[in-house]
Amino acid sequence: MVDLRVEIVPGLVLKNPVLSASGTFGYGREYASYFDVAKLGAVITKGLSLKPKIGNPGVRITETACGMLNAIGLENIGIDSFLANELPVLQNLGADVIVNIFGNNQNDYAAIAAKLDQVEGIRALEINISCPNVKAGGIQFGTDPESAARLVAAVRKATTLPLITKLSPNVTDITAVARAVADAGSDALSLINTLLGLAIDLENKRPVLGNVTGGLSGPAIKPVALRMVYQVVQAVSIPVIGIGGIASAEDALEFLMVGAAAIEIGTANFINPQIGIEIVEGIRDYLDQRKYLKITDFIGCLQS
Amino acid sequence: MYLFTGKILRNRQLTSDIRHLRISAPADFCQQSAPGQFIMLSCNDGLFDPLLKRPFGILNRGENWFEVVIKEVGKGSLQLGEMKEGAIVSGHGPLGNGYPEINSDLNKDDLTPLILVAGGMGIASIASCLLFSLKSSIKAGSRVLLYGAANLDELLLLDEMKESAPDIRIETITDDGSSGRQGWVTELLETELQQYPEALVFACGPEPMLINVQQVLRKVSARGYLSLENRMACGFGVCLGCVQDVTGIDDDGTVESAKVCTQGPVFPADKVVF
Repeated sequence: MVDLRVEIVPGLVLKNPVLSASGTFGYGREYASYFDVAKLGAVITKGLSLKPKIGNPGVRITETACGMLNAIGLENIGIDSFLANELPVLQNLGADVIVNIFGNNQNDYAAIAAKLDQVEGIRALEINISCPNVKAGGIQFGTDPESAARLVAAVRKATTLPLITKLSPNVTDITAVARAVADAGSDALSLINTLLGLAIDLENKRPVLGNVTGGLSGPAIKPVALRMVYQVVQAVSIPVIGIGGIASAEDALEFLMVGAAAIEIGTANFINPQIGIEIVEGIRDYLDQRKYLKITDFIGCLQS
Repeated sequence: MYLFTGKILRNRQLTSDIRHLRISAPADFCQQSAPGQFIMLSCNDGLFDPLLKRPFGILNRGENWFEVVIKEVGKGSLQLGEMKEGAIVSGHGPLGNGYPEINSDLNKDDLTPLILVAGGMGIASIASCLLFSLKSSIKAGSRVLLYGAANLDELLLLDEMKESAPDIRIETITDDGSSGRQGWVTELLETELQQYPEALVFACGPEPMLINVQQVLRKVSARGYLSLENRMACGFGVCLGCVQDVTGIDDDGTVESAKVCTQGPVFPADKVVF
């Protein structure tokens, strides 16, 4: 049977390349009644901030063709409550945990990274510099290579944990931001976060979402995500985790083929809570049928 | 909860845009469903447009089937509503917390009287209190159903409810006076609460109606539960699309956000902050 293990960075070996995307997997426990979450490569938590955050008012989600817009606004329980009430549950479930973090400013990001540095049971941090739905924090750091690099350098100083920086597609050249954060000490990259979009209520002449704009996700964005992963893989020497519209093992394999070291499943979790384990099994079946011994022999096998 | 595929057993047209569907389901799902719970449904698995499952109240259930009422308001509900008998749907449920049992003792005379209040499509949730064939203090305690709709044609499932709960009195009221008198269902509620001041109230309907129900309950210090609805992508507590302000479940009075899907859809009326 094919060996699905992937080494994201030295010391961070995951049992397979299938991860849950932040914001679509709660704190993990919600999925425990659907499948054994320990069988995922890792569970990436909902984005966490130093203090709890209540999120955006009004309509928060709306469906669009083959996708959805969300403007949740990074609602979360805060890092202290996560450590006290959620992390122990995830650990009991046997999950490998990657914590997604964000802040209002650089100091917040560094403070939360420092707080998690010595915590048992956290495999890595994913730094969110790409949420399109909040005014402070998130995307303001992710669209300018210099600010992104400064932020990552500050987080780098605050923790010895492996750092994955999650990039925004809402930029002219994603490879510029990718190179900047790689140079600043990020161990890996994950991309793409959602694409900024707008939905209109024709009848009422208003935006559908309370926040006016939202982040587009789902199968609609897969070709854009795949193109960006393809570009970034060639631009940097650190591992890239592919995200964007993955809804089947075939989708996941396409990202791995262009060189992604792992993938994250997002919106598809909402439609089928068991999709994560189904994709792990689908990848295994595909590679077994083709007599691969190691998944790493498949990663990046795209013929040009 | 269960993930399963079922077959459309019956698709009955109730109005020009409202359908009543019976769908096959595993016995375990049927047995575990309770009045006020909901199911996420799609007839489009793997095709992506529409993408997400849609939430519907579980109206009724038998040994290996359940029923929903679907108002065609958009692409997802339209596609489901147009499904022919024999077509396959995928379901995820039962989800959420239904209406609370009011007493473990089913001796009717000892039960707290229950007033059911439905507005428009809110009947899809409220009717489950009467249609579910289980031994329930909800059904046994129900004294009256107050049912408001736009007009006579939009009053749904009256025969089914009368058959399932012959003792219950049904009072209707409509926006245009085509059935019952013209007015709002909360006007009927005020009258009923004079007759049953100790009653418990279950209500489901459009938000303006629920706001009025809450005000009526507060005025006479009556207790009740409101079943809310909201847009949701997942139905099981992870997308955070459906949150609703409520005052602290811990009774400390602070406003917090609750997920309609997993902490509701039925909430104590005094906790909801509109």
